[in-house]
Amino acid sequence: MAGKVDCEKLCPLWPCEDPSEFKGVWVVAEADENGIHEASLQMLTPARKIAEKLGSDVTGVLVGYNVKQYADEMIKYGADRVIVVDDPAFEMYAPDVYGDAVVQLAKKYKPEVILVAATMRGREMAPYIANTLRTGITADCTDFDVDEKTKDVLLIRPPFGAIMLAYIKTPLRRPQIGTARPNVFPLPPRDDSRTGEIVEEKVEPRKPRVRLVKRQIIPRSEVPIEKAEVIVSGGKGVGGPEGFKLLEELAKLLGGVVAGSRKAVDAGWIPHEKQVGQTGKSVKPILYIAVGISGAAQHMFGVREAGVVAAINIDPEAPIFKQADYGVVADYREVIPAMIELLKKAREKGSLEEVLAATKQT
Amino acid sequence: MRIVVGIKWVPNTQAVRFDPKTGTLIREGVPSVVNPHDLPAVELALQLRDRYGGEVIAITMAPPSAMKGLEHVLGMGIDRAVLITDRAFAGADTLATSYVLAEGIKKIEKDIGKVDLAVFGQETIDSSTAHIGAQVASWLDWPYIYYVHKAELAREGVLLVERRLEDRVEWYEIELPGVISVAMKALKPRPVSLIRKIRVKQENPVIVWTNKELGLDTRCIGLKGSPTIVSKVTFTPEVPRKKVVYKPRDGLDAAVWLLEQLAKDEKAGKVIERAVRGEF
Repeated sequence: MAGKVDCEKLCPLWPCEDPSEFKGVWVVAEADENGIHEASLQMLTPARKIAEKLGSDVTGVLVGYNVKQYADEMIKYGADRVIVVDDPAFEMYAPDVYGDAVVQLAKKYKPEVILVAATMRGREMAPYIANTLRTGITADCTDFDVDEKTKDVLLIRPPFGAIMLAYIKTPLRRPQIGTARPNVFPLPPRDDSRTGEIVEEKVEPRKPRVRLVKRQIIPRSEVPIEKAEVIVSGGKGVGGPEGFKLLEELAKLLGGVVAGSRKAVDAGWIPHEKQVGQTGKSVKPILYIAVGISGAAQHMFGVREAGVVAAINIDPEAPIFKQADYGVVADYREVIPAMIELLKKAREKGSLEEVLAATKQT
Repeated sequence: MRIVVGIKWVPNTQAVRFDPKTGTLIREGVPSVVNPHDLPAVELALQLRDRYGGEVIAITMAPPSAMKGLEHVLGMGIDRAVLITDRAFAGADTLATSYVLAEGIKKIEKDIGKVDLAVFGQETIDSSTAHIGAQVASWLDWPYIYYVHKAELAREGVLLVERRLEDRVEWYEIELPGVISVAMKALKPRPVSLIRKIRVKQENPVIVWTNKELGLDTRCIGLKGSPTIVSKVTFTPEVPRKKVVYKPRDGLDAAVWLLEQLAKDEKAGKVIERAVRGEF
């Protein structure tokens, strides 16, 4: 026996360890030349929640080269301590080399929980870490909780299209590992007065069998949807690529960008990197205008963190109206050109109020 | 090259419904398909075989009904297939599933010959975890890389892949044997050839392995071999929204109403104000 675990019953390929010996909540962060990825800092929000419920603390983990300079950033955003592996051997990212470094640290420190932001790299590396430790992993969590009795972490995720939530436990193994998509959790408040310990660690880097030979940064002409403050998003009801030009014009006037639902992406009206929803991206604009989008759970999953949701849909029965702040039952082909016209006039006059009042009188 | 490509036979998620009383999935009458994100992986494997020779073997761990899915990819040009099926594998999470797949690949190496490359789709439409590629690589201790769009041999035993991340294109060399997972929609899958499908039925190139053939410890497979368990399932809580709905006289009326609401709104008001000033 190892604590509550009966070693005889456990798969012999797994280490038999007492779960109660594992302590602390880790956030394994991703950093590049621009600093720590915002999605990694967002993971400190659920990490703090879990740590509080477990009566434990939060440790950031940073692996790379020239990354020590960013460690303090994790403390400011809520980590109590940061373990840094800063070594030229990690100048080039390879999922198994980086993953193996985290595995070595986890074997030494025995954290109870490991959270990883589900960026593309995070989704690539986290299952390797979990599997190499022979423990469980839950992808794309939307919430976390702790079972009061057993103290198991509940990793909560929407399986099968976001209508249901599954509460997943890892009762016999530690660490308990989960990922969450960028923008599913808010960034914790930054506190410049926070201080914490920075622990420099050495690990034995494994020999790389995957080598980066070339890279090319894709220049961005506009704000990516996950960073936009205003999004005008189109669905099946937009009816074609021409409709998206109208959406684009409104988005520009509002200082925003255009996005789309899975149906719009599948139809080829808008590229996949602009897809909002469970199989696309989660976004957190101040204003999200859904045009011709029915409001399927998979789509609405992606706008949980949106400040205000407005909907324009010709179908009064569309479920979107039950999930929006402001809805108008109308044809967007009539509404959006009118909105564009009114906004243009308002900009000329310097007042929307006046323009709306004058329009109402006529 | 001998390439193994992983396939999942999944219920077509768009047709899946929930029983709100029991909180379980209603799978009856729901048609299954080969996971659409696996098809670009099949295509890439076939292109590599067409260019460099060798064979492509599809592998799946599934109930016997998945035979139909294997027939589909055999119809696309896969050379042979392995169906790993046993009640003992039921209830597996991704760790237990990847263990069986990795052991399947080992058995292919033992019975058929050395495997150079294992190819997976990026994720499945039914659970979209994207775990399996990395987990199989971990069990086999092979190198791996995700989000592959193109692949070619750089030299003997080394594959050059092009992959795309959020903001960059990267070219990696990966030592073989290795694992790659192919990005969603990266390649257009070739159609199923009817003649091939008929021939496939006659030649029956599907090998069926149960746990009798694999001989895996029952503590490492299925439910027992899964460190994660689903403790409960609930409905997703609603995000609180105002839900004000307006039925306008016409488009202009709708535009006025909506802009008025947004301008008055505590959060959206700032955005509208900024738009009017033209300051971004």
